[in-house]
Amino acid sequence: MLPWQIYLRPQTLAEVRQALDSAPKPVLPIAGGTDLLLDLRQGRHAPVQTLVDLTAVAEMTVIELRGEHLFIGAAVPVSRVHSDPLVARHARALTEASALIAGPQVRNVATLGGNVAHALPAADGTIALLALDTQAEIAAISGENRIVPLSQLFLGPGKSAIDKNKEIIVGFYIQVLEASEAFKVSSCFKRIMRPQGVALPIINCAIWLAREGDRIRDIRIAVGPGGPIPFRATKAEAVLRGQTPTNETIERALIALLDQVQFRTSPRRASADYRRHLVGGLFRDVIESAWERAG
Amino acid sequence: MSTKNVIGTSPVRLDAREKVTGKAIFPGDLSMPGMLHMKILFAWRPHARVLRIDTTEARAVPGVVAIFTAQDVPVNEYGLQVKDQPVLCGPGSSIEGGDVVRFVGDQVAAIVAESEQAAAKARDLIRVEYEDLPAVFDPEQAMQADAPLVHPERGMSNICVHYKIRKGDVEAGFKQADVIVEGEYRLPFQEHAYLQPEAGLAYIDEEGRVTIKVAGQWTHVDREQVAHALGLPEEQVRVVYPAIGGAFGGREDMSVQIVLGLAAWKLRRPVKIIWTRQESIIGHGKRHPAVIRVRWGATKEGKLVAAEMNFIGDAGAYMYTTNKVLGNSTIVCTGPYFIPNVKTDVYGVYTNNVPGAAFRGFGAPQSAFAAESQMNKLAEKLNLDPVEIRLRNALRDGDTLSVGTPAPGPVSIVQVIEAAARQAGWKETPQGWQAPPVEQPSEPHLKRGWGFAAGFKNVGFSFGYQENSWARVELHGKSEIERVVAYHAGAEVGQGTHTVMAQMVAEAVGVPFEKVTMVVSDTANMGNPGSASASRMTYMAGNALRGAGLAALEKWHAEERPAIAEYTYLAPKTTPFEKETGYSTPNFCYAYAAQAVEVEVDTETGEVRLLRVIAADDVGQAINPKLAEGQIEGAVVQAQGYAIQENFVTQNGRVLSDQLSTYLIPTILDIPGEIKSVILEVPDPNGPWGARGLGELPYIPLAPAVTGGIHAATGTWVDEIPLIPERVLRSLGKIT
Repeated sequence: MLPWQIYLRPQTLAEVRQALDSAPKPVLPIAGGTDLLLDLRQGRHAPVQTLVDLTAVAEMTVIELRGEHLFIGAAVPVSRVHSDPLVARHARALTEASALIAGPQVRNVATLGGNVAHALPAADGTIALLALDTQAEIAAISGENRIVPLSQLFLGPGKSAIDKNKEIIVGFYIQVLEASEAFKVSSCFKRIMRPQGVALPIINCAIWLAREGDRIRDIRIAVGPGGPIPFRATKAEAVLRGQTPTNETIERALIALLDQVQFRTSPRRASADYRRHLVGGLFRDVIESAWERAG
Repeated sequence: MSTKNVIGTSPVRLDAREKVTGKAIFPGDLSMPGMLHMKILFAWRPHARVLRIDTTEARAVPGVVAIFTAQDVPVNEYGLQVKDQPVLCGPGSSIEGGDVVRFVGDQVAAIVAESEQAAAKARDLIRVEYEDLPAVFDPEQAMQADAPLVHPERGMSNICVHYKIRKGDVEAGFKQADVIVEGEYRLPFQEHAYLQPEAGLAYIDEEGRVTIKVAGQWTHVDREQVAHALGLPEEQVRVVYPAIGGAFGGREDMSVQIVLGLAAWKLRRPVKIIWTRQESIIGHGKRHPAVIRVRWGATKEGKLVAAEMNFIGDAGAYMYTTNKVLGNSTIVCTGPYFIPNVKTDVYGVYTNNVPGAAFRGFGAPQSAFAAESQMNKLAEKLNLDPVEIRLRNALRDGDTLSVGTPAPGPVSIVQVIEAAARQAGWKETPQGWQAPPVEQPSEPHLKRGWGFAAGFKNVGFSFGYQENSWARVELHGKSEIERVVAYHAGAEVGQGTHTVMAQMVAEAVGVPFEKVTMVVSDTANMGNPGSASASRMTYMAGNALRGAGLAALEKWHAEERPAIAEYTYLAPKTTPFEKETGYSTPNFCYAYAAQAVEVEVDTETGEVRLLRVIAADDVGQAINPKLAEGQIEGAVVQAQGYAIQENFVTQNGRVLSDQLSTYLIPTILDIPGEIKSVILEVPDPNGPWGARGLGELPYIPLAPAVTGGIHAATGTWVDEIPLIPERVLRSLGKIT
């Protein structure tokens, strides 16, 4: 029993626009389909007439440097993101997150575009992209493509700001900062979850930082699930910016993080108490790694 | 006949090629011309009276052929042990109480249509008017006098099983004790999570029988239950098993069989159903949750003197095999140890939860968790090694069990414990057995320790039931046997039983394995095989096939061509519990196991990993050593899920973990770093070539061995499983 009738496989963005505009409705874009197909089959998403497969669109399946940015196509399979040397060099947190999303079979087809479009507050790829201050390129049926900060794409758990009947994510831009005399940058992603993955993490954390000698010049911290949408620990960032990450500063940052974060109890996964306990160790671990890498 | 040619070798499984190449036909793969599709409307509520079912809109959906409700079922009841469950719940039931749903997975209507979509659409358009009834979800509350009754038509109590053991004088026994350990142990539901969700195809065969192709564990009892509900003679019903994608006990009770049979019988067209994973998880029974409160006493020399056990098992909404499961719990809850004074009370209690059902180990894992944890705690109190205290109390030949009679010999628990201990590095010293030293990792938050536990399990249902199994063997050829055809209806649920059967036939009649063809799992031309459960199939089918083979051989030597013989093996007689004392000879055979587990605990996250599992099992005779190892490894992994990971979450009878994305079973990345199987062969005098039973055995000791290891690593006892990180951290006092 197929919960769709027509399956299109456009080769260009123009064809995607055309398909979304004129194919029999309701129409939805699909990439890896690892979330969407389950939702359709298990009745959490109403059946559709048309699925528009994005994985053959050339501009959505490249990873390349574009000026001061690393561009990652939204339809690149996560396993390719994981093994890509440019990503490893400029977005190490994303390399690490890409190794942990779901299991190997899923990673071979799942995409970052889907990870972000699904709008889950603890998606590993999303949390890494958030700490990397990613910008997303959005294409709509009509009009120019637009660039928006990743953080603006989320409305609530599972609720994306993208109108999936009319819009798609084309790709992601991550700023490339080459190491200089003055400072070095690095990032790190870790999570707590049993080794096999497959399900969502109990908790994850990504940190990007720029190190200037023994000071943190700049830092971005993302934690999932830290609220209804992917969470940036901006108060903890403010505590650490310009500081030397001593035990004492990190503890103050942790207090700020705990003050801002909204952990909730999910009966099938973990309690808020457990997450509050875990986040301390995880946060210390991730910041330590990121700091050392930028040394 | 002392030398064996085929027994003890590991030929390639008969079904290996088909299963590896994807050609094997499972129930969900079946189809027939003109086939209809069925969907079930489940209750999705824990306790309610069905007042009215309006199918008007549903019947108007194009393609809908029929909608069956309670009033269409000729005899609207079924159940393996007690017929206490309606086939379909609703008004007009032929049986009293048939209008009530008692758990979320009760079935209300069966919708048949030309397509699966139409059936699903119609299902969602059926309007059911319910009157919710007071419900009860905690078995201890359900035991109270004022609790809502799950089956008011069956008497004024929810207690559906109560077994008592009274051996010796426990109070006098406790007076001799130098140490007494009390404990309360809590055990969870477990979902079978077999690869293949329930599915089947029913049609009328060329002889006019309603024929059901389905995955089950006991062809002839499936047939009996379908025939009963349809009001047909058994000969009018045929049950055939294609390839079965795992069972583990979860297919002992009916799921799709009766409704499929009903639809095919009434519509005279083939009808197919496949349950979704979610339907499977809410729709079939689970391992019984249990609360076990115990008090054990021992002398300072480490000899057990008294044990008192109170075991409350959640039967859920229907009996299923609860009476049999808890019978095993009753025997096993004092462990494979000699205890002179025992007082045991085991209760099974109806609630509005998913029914407690058969599941690998059949009541033994719950009991073993309590018994073996008690042994580990006594060892700590007495400053004895866990292996040493077990050996001081292990049953010897002639020792009476709690039921007042000895286990049939030879009792091999001493050899098994010693074999597991030695393999794990335990040393026998003048001061007794000593655990191997543990190398602690450099990270201070990671703690390692060895845990140890033993266990035993009866082979067969027994408890007074006359265990039996039928077989037929045909010898074809002229001067020599060219071809052997053996008939047996025993279920191949993935364990490899058909391969083992062919090996035993080959051995019995003295031909190479390749000459044997198995004809299997069809009630049309075979006698009753008995269930593929209770670790009984190798033992029972082996004796049946051996008997048939030897009888055919006799005819062969008398020049009959082909030489054909049928044989029904009857196992040694057993007796049920005497009501007040439990005195009985409940089983004809036991098998024994012991495990040592090296555990690593992350004291920051609460994660528990199994580094090494040493599993020693006395199988009597490994008919096929590779398959025996497979059973051991599979059981250990499934038990790891039970002990550590699998968290079946319910809320007021509703199942929250109803997908495999939320109910997490072990995968290849979770399993122990190493599983070392140590197979012992202490022959059973009545087993075929000495074989005992194996399927459940290696499952039983794991959970208490793991908590023993956690204690060795951290000094903390965790008396409730699963050992999800959060629970471990709470036990360690890291979170409140």
